[in-house]
Amino acid sequence: METSGSRPASDPAVPGTTPAATGSGDLGAPLYIAWQVTNECNLACLHCIEESGPGKAFHDELTDEQVFRVLEQTMDLEVPYLSFSGGEPMVHPRFFDMVEYVCGRNGQLKIETNGHYLDPDNCARLKSLGVKAVQVSLDGASRETFNRMRVRGDFDRALEGVRNLHAAGVPIEINYSPTSFNAHEIGMAVDLAAELGAYSFYTGRTMYTGNAVKTWHRLAPSEEQYDEFFRVLHGKVEEYRGRMRVHFHEMGLLEELRYRLHHPAALLIVLPNGLVKLINALPFVCGDLRRQSLTEIWGSFQRAWQDPRVAKFVEDLARDPRQTATLHRWVYL
Amino acid sequence: MKLAKYVKFREEKFGGVLFETRSEKVYTLNPAATAVVREIQAGSAAGDIPARLKERFRDEGGAIEREATAFIADLRQKGLVED
Repeated sequence: METSGSRPASDPAVPGTTPAATGSGDLGAPLYIAWQVTNECNLACLHCIEESGPGKAFHDELTDEQVFRVLEQTMDLEVPYLSFSGGEPMVHPRFFDMVEYVCGRNGQLKIETNGHYLDPDNCARLKSLGVKAVQVSLDGASRETFNRMRVRGDFDRALEGVRNLHAAGVPIEINYSPTSFNAHEIGMAVDLAAELGAYSFYTGRTMYTGNAVKTWHRLAPSEEQYDEFFRVLHGKVEEYRGRMRVHFHEMGLLEELRYRLHHPAALLIVLPNGLVKLINALPFVCGDLRRQSLTEIWGSFQRAWQDPRVAKFVEDLARDPRQTATLHRWVYL
Repeated sequence: MKLAKYVKFREEKFGGVLFETRSEKVYTLNPAATAVVREIQAGSAAGDIPARLKERFRDEGGAIEREATAFIADLRQKGLVED
């Protein structure tokens, strides 16, 4: 990481690109905590990397007391940015209390949701609490593709949720996972996001893990589809420049993980039971917030990236990309 | 002048970090830049900050004063501060 007191006087601020591009090495605490607050979800999406769904809450999810203890540590350490995801974070019984706590301590919080609980009252509440943004998954520009992907989901309800966010004045981000049956809608989906008032649109390659392992034969876009998908996105970046940020990862998982081995992100992934992963796309766990402090885990996180098992897993992935199917068999470092 | 709504600042051993959470961009700061941000947070007027740093860092050659002036302009240009 390029941070040093000896940096030339003419170069006072060194821009990184994202928390992920900011090395963790010299930082006293993470810059970003991505917290999967529950594995419970009202939907059972074909591609869900967490295998979430109705009745899928972990049996050992953090208790209320543990949740707020972790939040307190997070804010004490001045972690500037958090996200709550799941599962569906809005089904967590203490969801709004958690939001209130973080925002009340001046944390910047993003909610990642399927949008089905974004009624006008909830949107007004999110606005008044001061969330930084709400990211809604809209994997399709039509009812047909969205509902096929988001089992038990309803395109119209998700759209209504986004419209409610917009009406309440909550900043909106849209997330899109490509599949063989929705990749062709990417242009329309970006247009739809802009029409709905989103300020950011995120997408990238869908991962072979979680539910996608079982449904891959129905999901996986071909390389030709991906070529066209990214071609359209490059055009949309230009089309919406200055109005909406169209952000996508064209890089494959292997390239990304090889990069991360040398540039670990300043980001902790917290699972619903308090285990902390190095990164979503690896099975390695570097701490347990039920037993360790966040500070301790931050130290373990930095050492864990140097563990030879991590590099070996990444190189094994080069030989057998389908190893991502095992990401939920956690390996404790 | 104050930090923009979506900008967070944290001090670090090497200086500090500014995190613009809307674009998710991170800026790492050396001690002089960190001192500028601390002054901004304390409510100092933008025009007073370079001179204050010049005095604090015993900057006889004026390098830090010039750096602080340029840095404040850069913060404005990037939308990291607002009036």
